[in-house]
Amino acid sequence: MSRAIVIGAGLGGLASASNLARQGLDTTLISQGLGGLQLGAGTVDILGYDPEPVADPLAAVGRASAPHPYSVIGPEAVRAGVEWLRQLLGPELLVGQEQANVWLPTAVGALRPTALFQPSMAAGQARAEAEWLIVGLSRLKDFSPALVAGNLNRTDLPTGGRLRCRPVVVDLEARPGEADSSGLTFARALDRREVQDRLIAALRPELRPGQSVGLPAVLGLNDHSVHQRLSEAWEAPVFEIPLPPPSVPGMRLNQALTAEARAAGVRFVNGSSVIGFEAADGRLSQVVTDAAGHPRPYSADVFVYAPGGFESGALTMDSYYQIKETVFDLPLHGLDDIENLITGDHAAPQPVFAVGLGVDAGMRPVDSAGAVVYENLHAVGSILAGAIPWHEKSGEGIALGSAWAAVQAIQEELK
Amino acid sequence: MRRMTADVVVIGGGSTGSGIVRDCAMRGFSAVLVERGDLAHGTSARYHGLLHSGGRYVVSDPESAHECALENDIIQRIHADAVEATGGFFIAMAGDDLDYADRWVVGAAQAHLPFQEISVAELFRREPRINRQAVRVMEVKDASVDGWQMTWGAVRSAQRYGAEILTYTEVTGFEISQGQLTAVRCLDRKTDQDLIIDTPFVINASGPWAGQISALAGCQPVEVVPGRGVMVAMAHRLVNSACNRLIKPGDGDLVVPAHTVCIIGTTDVKVDDPDDLAMPRQEVQQMLDAGEILVPGFRQARAMRAWAGARPLVKDSRVSSSDTRHMSRGMSILDHQSRDGISGILTISGGKLTTYRLMAKNIVDVMCEQLNDPRPCVTDREAVPGSESGRTYTVTHRLADRQADRLRDPVICECELMSRQMFLDLLEAIAEPSLDDLRRQLRLGMGPCQGGFCSLRATGLTCQSGHFSADKATAALRLFLKNRWIGLWPVLYGDQLRQAALDNWIMAGTLNVERLPQSEEVVL
Repeated sequence: MSRAIVIGAGLGGLASASNLARQGLDTTLISQGLGGLQLGAGTVDILGYDPEPVADPLAAVGRASAPHPYSVIGPEAVRAGVEWLRQLLGPELLVGQEQANVWLPTAVGALRPTALFQPSMAAGQARAEAEWLIVGLSRLKDFSPALVAGNLNRTDLPTGGRLRCRPVVVDLEARPGEADSSGLTFARALDRREVQDRLIAALRPELRPGQSVGLPAVLGLNDHSVHQRLSEAWEAPVFEIPLPPPSVPGMRLNQALTAEARAAGVRFVNGSSVIGFEAADGRLSQVVTDAAGHPRPYSADVFVYAPGGFESGALTMDSYYQIKETVFDLPLHGLDDIENLITGDHAAPQPVFAVGLGVDAGMRPVDSAGAVVYENLHAVGSILAGAIPWHEKSGEGIALGSAWAAVQAIQEELK
Repeated sequence: MRRMTADVVVIGGGSTGSGIVRDCAMRGFSAVLVERGDLAHGTSARYHGLLHSGGRYVVSDPESAHECALENDIIQRIHADAVEATGGFFIAMAGDDLDYADRWVVGAAQAHLPFQEISVAELFRREPRINRQAVRVMEVKDASVDGWQMTWGAVRSAQRYGAEILTYTEVTGFEISQGQLTAVRCLDRKTDQDLIIDTPFVINASGPWAGQISALAGCQPVEVVPGRGVMVAMAHRLVNSACNRLIKPGDGDLVVPAHTVCIIGTTDVKVDDPDDLAMPRQEVQQMLDAGEILVPGFRQARAMRAWAGARPLVKDSRVSSSDTRHMSRGMSILDHQSRDGISGILTISGGKLTTYRLMAKNIVDVMCEQLNDPRPCVTDREAVPGSESGRTYTVTHRLADRQADRLRDPVICECELMSRQMFLDLLEAIAEPSLDDLRRQLRLGMGPCQGGFCSLRATGLTCQSGHFSADKATAALRLFLKNRWIGLWPVLYGDQLRQAALDNWIMAGTLNVERLPQSEEVVL
């Protein structure tokens, strides 16, 4: 039985590990932290801007040119990766399509393009003259309904026209006596019917016929039907608006994906950083983690490296402005204009964040001449060079597409 | 147009101007302070935060050192809430000129500077991160002082004595009749309204901008040579006390703990325009190298932010020698009566934050002399509002407050433990504030996340409380993030770069702040 090591517990790592395990590989997932899904919006962004707003993200992926990672990942891998996730999560947790972006509201009242989203967000698709009641919770500090409603009201919709939003605040105690509860605390509370009932009662006097109700994305962590229950009680469409971390929609995806990986037989090694590796003849043979007490080696036949970018510490810049990939010291791409990687222009995307690994079609890191570094090492997700995913809204598309491409390449390799 | 009257108008809301308006008000003059931006938004807060013991000057200028020692005591008393009594050390390293240490001891005795020599073992016990190459150590009364807090303290005291403080008010000209100043013309930048203040006397305390102000009065050019100093704040207190090198004063020979951070300073490069203080990477690198000498491993620690201040150095050959008795060391008073034939205007420049009160006393003494109205200075006799208890600041001061109110008041900025009520109270008290105006008093967004989480909450509160429309709140958020970036990008490496990536995932990825509609309203 071939053995696989996956490094990283974000979307790319979990997708790679599950698929490798389902294909019969003895798969171990090593992660330093809890993975990046809980930091995001809990949607599947494929491509929102290129740089103009994108209507059909999959078509736009097909038009990508080097050095964008989509130019090597390709639309088919993205489609297949997204399809896998859709099948896995089912319509209870994921709806939408990869050929059409929708515009969903954010927690500052901007609109944001995404391809697939949770059904609890679906009623937030913006359309002209829609009347929205934007509901804040007085003990939740990350969501100001006045800001959200005010900004939405002054936004020209991509499809024309404007929304009509009204803010309201209700008081809901998530934990007795607590004035400062996190989104996660609210979500756990709202898994309980008693708390749902209190929310239903608190908002009822504010409701007007014909309005949809927008709430911060805290409508249950384990119970994915809370939004439906509220909607039935209020006789109004209900939608969630994602918050800054900790992201409850992101945690829902993380829970489902982690459960799938465990069901597929993936072994998890959490809380461990990879601090070294062994390689010979252009192949990796093992990685070493900093387990408590002593370094611990893990040998495998194939390796998937899905550690994230600068945000996770996989890429670092030292005080002399030298950038490194920290685990394998792989060659970096995107360093051509090294003096201007970070600029004083706050509004501009910073080129440093497009620095990362260049890969071949099998997601194997390559050097500047295009030569593969290790035959059995594949890189996945936001460590890839050539894109700033938060800026163009492509994080999950790159993760799923590159994971799919890496898994395909590994299958070929092991034939 | 608005019109008002005052005995004296003070120009410049830095520490010096605030000290002068307080001094004038306490002597019974009706005084108005005009400041084109916010209080202490210039040099008075863009420094390393050291309240000098005088140790830095004992060799080069013992009289100046003596002044510092006296003022240090006074400031710790009257501005207790702005001062953290950290103490300080002067540390000679192996390889340093050890004769300098001997000269320092002689100078310190001459300057009547309280100090004692301690063992290096004692130093390492109290400062475990300091370079093990230390060979000789002098303990002094250096302290850490918050320039904003101190300036606001002086201003609140002045207000109590009837002074008027006009921020975001820019001087646009002077009215002078037969060689005598009669009025100051101003523009209220927030309302775009003109203001004329009838007054027989102006004290120009605009620091590096003093030349621009005196030119408006038609004075002979006052040559201000702004000296840029770059400082870097590290996200931890790598030292517990102000740690100076015991060498001839130079660049980057000092690390000062301030609140939850420590600051290394500073460079000194002459620049043309005090409004344009670029921070070249090479000067940032110079500070990091200097930090490495005092605290090995400095470069591996997390740099959080850099800033540059403009030293207000005046070169003026026309300073009359008869004025020197009024002078504090390093400070110049220009009498525009003898110099330019215009009575009723004095310009003060130079000096240091530690001796701001003494500088204020000296120039108000000159004014009293010119007005032939001697009134004694009493600014050293009374603590400013907030410092009455005499208890100096401690870095944990907000912990107890948040522990007490945690069940009723959310924490909006976790790094700096700023509560919602603190924010709302100040929002209520200031007309048309920017988030930076609020930050300077509350420390909102000044911790490691540099606004990644709290700026959104603060923006939401301005809107939710009804103070700002969503349009204006968005403009305020954009300005705040832009201003944070100015100090971030020159030191963006290591964990702070990692933080910036996380902040971007939030601001751009989840919230799409960058694609919010542009605002019609403007925030200054």
